[in-house]
Amino acid sequence: MIEVVEPGRWTTIQDRGRLGLERFGIPAGGAADWFAARVANELVGNQPDAALLECTATGPTLRFGDDAIVAITGGQVSSAAGWQAVGVARGSSLAIGTIAPGLRTYFALRGGIDVPIVLGSRSFCQRGTFGGGFGRPLAAGDRLAIAQMVGHEPMSEPWSPSHRLPLQGPWEVRTIAGPHPDAFTPGALDRLSATACRVTPEIDRMGLRLETPGLRLQPHEILTVPMTAGALQVTPSGELIALHVDHQTTGGYPVIATVISADLPLLAQARPGDTVRLRPVGMDEAARAGRRISGWLDLDP
Amino acid sequence: MWQVAPAGDRALLVTLGRSIDPELLGQVLALDRALQDRRPIGLVSTVTAYASLLCYYDADATDPARLDGAIRELEGKVEASVPSGAMVDIPTRYDGPDLPEVALRTNLTPAGVIELHAGREYLVYCVGFAPGFVYCGALPEPIEVPRLASPRLRVPAGSVGISSRQTGIYAVESPGGWNLIGRTALRLFDPAADPPARFRPGDRLRFIPAS
Repeated sequence: MIEVVEPGRWTTIQDRGRLGLERFGIPAGGAADWFAARVANELVGNQPDAALLECTATGPTLRFGDDAIVAITGGQVSSAAGWQAVGVARGSSLAIGTIAPGLRTYFALRGGIDVPIVLGSRSFCQRGTFGGGFGRPLAAGDRLAIAQMVGHEPMSEPWSPSHRLPLQGPWEVRTIAGPHPDAFTPGALDRLSATACRVTPEIDRMGLRLETPGLRLQPHEILTVPMTAGALQVTPSGELIALHVDHQTTGGYPVIATVISADLPLLAQARPGDTVRLRPVGMDEAARAGRRISGWLDLDP
Repeated sequence: MWQVAPAGDRALLVTLGRSIDPELLGQVLALDRALQDRRPIGLVSTVTAYASLLCYYDADATDPARLDGAIRELEGKVEASVPSGAMVDIPTRYDGPDLPEVALRTNLTPAGVIELHAGREYLVYCVGFAPGFVYCGALPEPIEVPRLASPRLRVPAGSVGISSRQTGIYAVESPGGWNLIGRTALRLFDPAADPPARFRPGDRLRFIPAS
């Protein structure tokens, strides 16, 4: 049993998310930086779909009622050595604290967090206020039970620094053009890609609002269509919204380009004021980027 | 002509048309059924909207060109009909905060707006945006109003809204830019139910004024 002493800024229970329920208006959700979350589970020897904590900006303070093996990945914290499995003794406390660089830190414990599966996942769905054990972010006094979702031995070595994604901007984020090129004037995506976009304070798991200094796109309207994570929506006033894992499942703003799945973790770590440069790529490069990361994960522990 | 375009590296968006039209929705739903039946290799799930359909695929099992081909093969071959799903009455209290403004904009009395909105049949075109939200149409022309200039940060669950030719119901609390004219106590989203959303595209509904 682990007790939440301080909940942190916005700490939720996540796993790999729920697939195939977009038709009910339910986004896939799951860890925003899926790569860091997956590594955290690997380090402690969990199955890949074990539930863990996603901490945002400031992590929680936890008190351990049992011995545990834990790993912290993603955004950097000064309270603990990241990217390796470490033992925590019963009775001790861990204050995860301020996260920087990066925005989101993942805390996995061997066995995973034991919360009920709701609609195929243990992830908290913010819009639907369900899942994640409590149907809300963690609060002081919450108790987390340890599950038995162990897959292999914990890793004895830290995760290689050469097999991690950057945690600090300026970010280069690769995109696939479309699906609504017709809604924009020719050359609009080139102009956007030549612009140093800036992350505004309006960021959450649903999406990030980006400023495009010196550029004002003026799209045509479209009829409401299904939306994906990574969609770069352009509003009638020219604002850019990058949808993320808890995205609206449909929307009426045209999408000029879509962030490739391998680069969604980068947007999960971007902070207000960071610079984002978009780079259109082809399907081949998107596939290569995906294989590069999954190759890191396939290495035998 | 259907258009098939990549929506990132995990999905293809099929656009069948560009209007709010029961026949077009019928084609979308027929394509959806055909894809569920045939299950092209690598297809993971589909999401429908007014006149479009999104296909999520497993990039390790197929490539977009192959799936694109499997979709296009169905063009002209799906058996579409005008949807006529279950008809459900929605008891509605017409006391929404935007009702006076909508009346003003449309040169009607609030009672006139209610009379035009209620008592007619709407088709559910789409479930999406947020969990269980229903997009319905088509609204009678005299009460067409644009969406709010700036959206509300919080719209309560059960709110009934209108925006251009659409009317809809917010199933869970969410932000929203539609003009709120009423509210229903009917529960439209329940994560413990199967399916979790009360409506699906092709269903029909009718708002019944209630006090």
